[in-house]
Amino acid sequence: MSPMIDIQLIAAVTAAACAIPGVFLVLRKMALISDAISHSILPGIVIGFFITHDLASPWLIIFAAFSGIITVVLVELIQKTGLVKEDTAIGLVFPALFSIGVILIAQNANDVHLDVDAVLLGDLVYAPFDRLIIDNADFGPKGLWTISVILVITLVLLFAFYKELKISTFDVGLSSALGFSPVILHYGLMSVASVTTVAAFDAVGAILVVAMMITPAAAAYLLTTDLRKMLILSVLFGVGSAIGGYWFARWLDASISGSITTVLGLLFLLIYLFAPSKGLIAVLFRQSRQRIEVSLLTFLLHLNNHDSENERRVAHLQEHINWRKVKANSVLQLAEKNNMITIDNQIVSLTDKGLEFTEKALDYIITNKDEKIEDMKDDFFLFRG
Amino acid sequence: MDITQYFTDYTLRTITLGTAVLGAICGMLGSFAVLRKQSLLGDAISHAALPGIAVAFLITGAKDSNVLLLGALVSGLIGVFWIRGITTKTHLKTDTALGLILSLFFGFGMLLLTYIQKQPNANQAGLDKYLFGQAATLVESDVLLMVIVTGISLLVMLLFWKEFKLLLFDKNYAMTLGFNTKFIDGLISFFIVLAIVIGLQTVGVVLMSAMLLAPAAAARQWTNSLSTMVILAAIFGAFSGVFGTAISASQNNLSTGPVIVLVAAIFVIVSFLFSPERGIIFKQIRLIKNRRDLQLKKTLYFMYDIVRDHDDISRPHAIRILNSFQGFTKKTLSKLEEKNWITIQGQNWSMTEDGFETAANLYNNNLPES
Repeated sequence: MSPMIDIQLIAAVTAAACAIPGVFLVLRKMALISDAISHSILPGIVIGFFITHDLASPWLIIFAAFSGIITVVLVELIQKTGLVKEDTAIGLVFPALFSIGVILIAQNANDVHLDVDAVLLGDLVYAPFDRLIIDNADFGPKGLWTISVILVITLVLLFAFYKELKISTFDVGLSSALGFSPVILHYGLMSVASVTTVAAFDAVGAILVVAMMITPAAAAYLLTTDLRKMLILSVLFGVGSAIGGYWFARWLDASISGSITTVLGLLFLLIYLFAPSKGLIAVLFRQSRQRIEVSLLTFLLHLNNHDSENERRVAHLQEHINWRKVKANSVLQLAEKNNMITIDNQIVSLTDKGLEFTEKALDYIITNKDEKIEDMKDDFFLFRG
Repeated sequence: MDITQYFTDYTLRTITLGTAVLGAICGMLGSFAVLRKQSLLGDAISHAALPGIAVAFLITGAKDSNVLLLGALVSGLIGVFWIRGITTKTHLKTDTALGLILSLFFGFGMLLLTYIQKQPNANQAGLDKYLFGQAATLVESDVLLMVIVTGISLLVMLLFWKEFKLLLFDKNYAMTLGFNTKFIDGLISFFIVLAIVIGLQTVGVVLMSAMLLAPAAAARQWTNSLSTMVILAAIFGAFSGVFGTAISASQNNLSTGPVIVLVAAIFVIVSFLFSPERGIIFKQIRLIKNRRDLQLKKTLYFMYDIVRDHDDISRPHAIRILNSFQGFTKKTLSKLEEKNWITIQGQNWSMTEDGFETAANLYNNNLPES
């Protein structure tokens, strides 16, 4: 296999392996733990290297994953004292651990072939040249094997504990009532995230790991609220961006991990703007429509309250509700189009339909019960369609 | 390196002054970040500043640090606004938004940096000092910039002190009073971004968030007053800067940024442990004290139960009969005697009038505390 395909394979498998724990991190509001872990594995790697003197040793992964779990434990310990909030606890722990790692490297710079830059940024370009050779037979790049094994383990765990994970993510109370220990699931998830981070950072660097975990999951979360679909979508997004990012990097002749992140970022930006019901444009559109609907309601209630013709003149209304001319006109037109009002000689009056609507609205305002407004929505807001 | 050299060496003096001022401004503004539960905003912004530096370099081609920092400021602010957009307009939570902006901006910045490195332009070296920071590259003009920014933010903070405080603790109230909360909010965020950008050159993108958080988190443990906290945080930050620089200068191969962060972390640990009000040690001592007090009262009540049936409350009883009750030791007995609740004669104890009274009212909450 050529290095080109190898790199794409490693990137794609890494993306898939990161996306799965990422979904749960995003749903459990622990996205920043991945950032903390990705930084604080550094001292684990350095110490592991001092002991084994081999950068490719599997012990390194175990040490690093262990220091990732220590981060989680430390954060929780600090949080439990109640002295600071959770986010502050995260922000205190990982820079301290990272600093220790940086100092350890600097102190032993002469005999360590370990570079902080490489840890943060990874070196996907060289990954295909570190090959797994058993009995002189070439089995492909080592990095690919490591991350594939982790992906398989993650998938097995996901299928085995899907139900438990799902319940404990959305309803901690229920899951502990049913007898699933939230603590075990929590640390299980953290261990998987930690191991994945370590394996992935070797290939793509610490920061990209964070991007690969959070971005596909966040983008998928904007498109669906079904956990199964969200998992599938985020894996697709991750793999797609990994391969797209590789070609982007070739074209620009720049860092592969950087360009994968950039592609992920563009993907997220697109979905953030255009997601059907949760994207920015959809939300802004909905908000402006709701604003008009509320204005219309205010207007109708106002009409209902005033019987005298003098109060119901168009010009007077504008002054009375304190709307600008344009807005007042658009609301008037809207109401007329929906047969809520008739305008006769510059005097506005409610139609039967408008009266009924207003009364229902009043009913809702007084009782404040949601079922009242439910059929109102269907009955009257015709201009939506 | 001896002390006199420390004050006479020009470079070292500049660096020390720079890190001290940086620590002070970070502590000051970090207090607001910590209290607003935006601790990790600093982390996200410092990463988000990276593409700005790269773009500023691509546009101007100059390595003038002021221009680059301006670029960092702009992209940091874009990051803040996007974070706010994500959290207010979609159902994604703050942590996801922070993680997204942090990693995406940083990745894009790295892409630009590697792209710049491939350019045929000899000027590009040294941009990566913003990744981990190099305090050694601080010159007098950088320090001057820091002092000016610190002065401005101090001035603005004093000017808007009341508004900041109000927004911090009761946003809704501030709104009802008619303050423009959006503006004040933006102002605080702007100065936090400014502090981060100023610090990038010294401690770098990755460790900047700790500079912002650690002094403030340490100061929080010692006081409940905002003004004291801000002043304390500034002092802690400044000392972290000075000590960190001194330690890293005293040895080879010690980069300044990480050492400053570790010194700040030590401040935090000491504060967590030893602060008299909230500290873990004193809290534990108070807990044990309360537990002992309860034990003592339990013993007294047990004695009261025995004594109650007799006409003469001061009739002596053998200590032996307390054996069925586990909560007593010689020490508790002598303590009870010290409080004048019982008297002990040889192997017998007898309750005093005072002790009887106390025990009878032990579970009566209506009485004032004795």
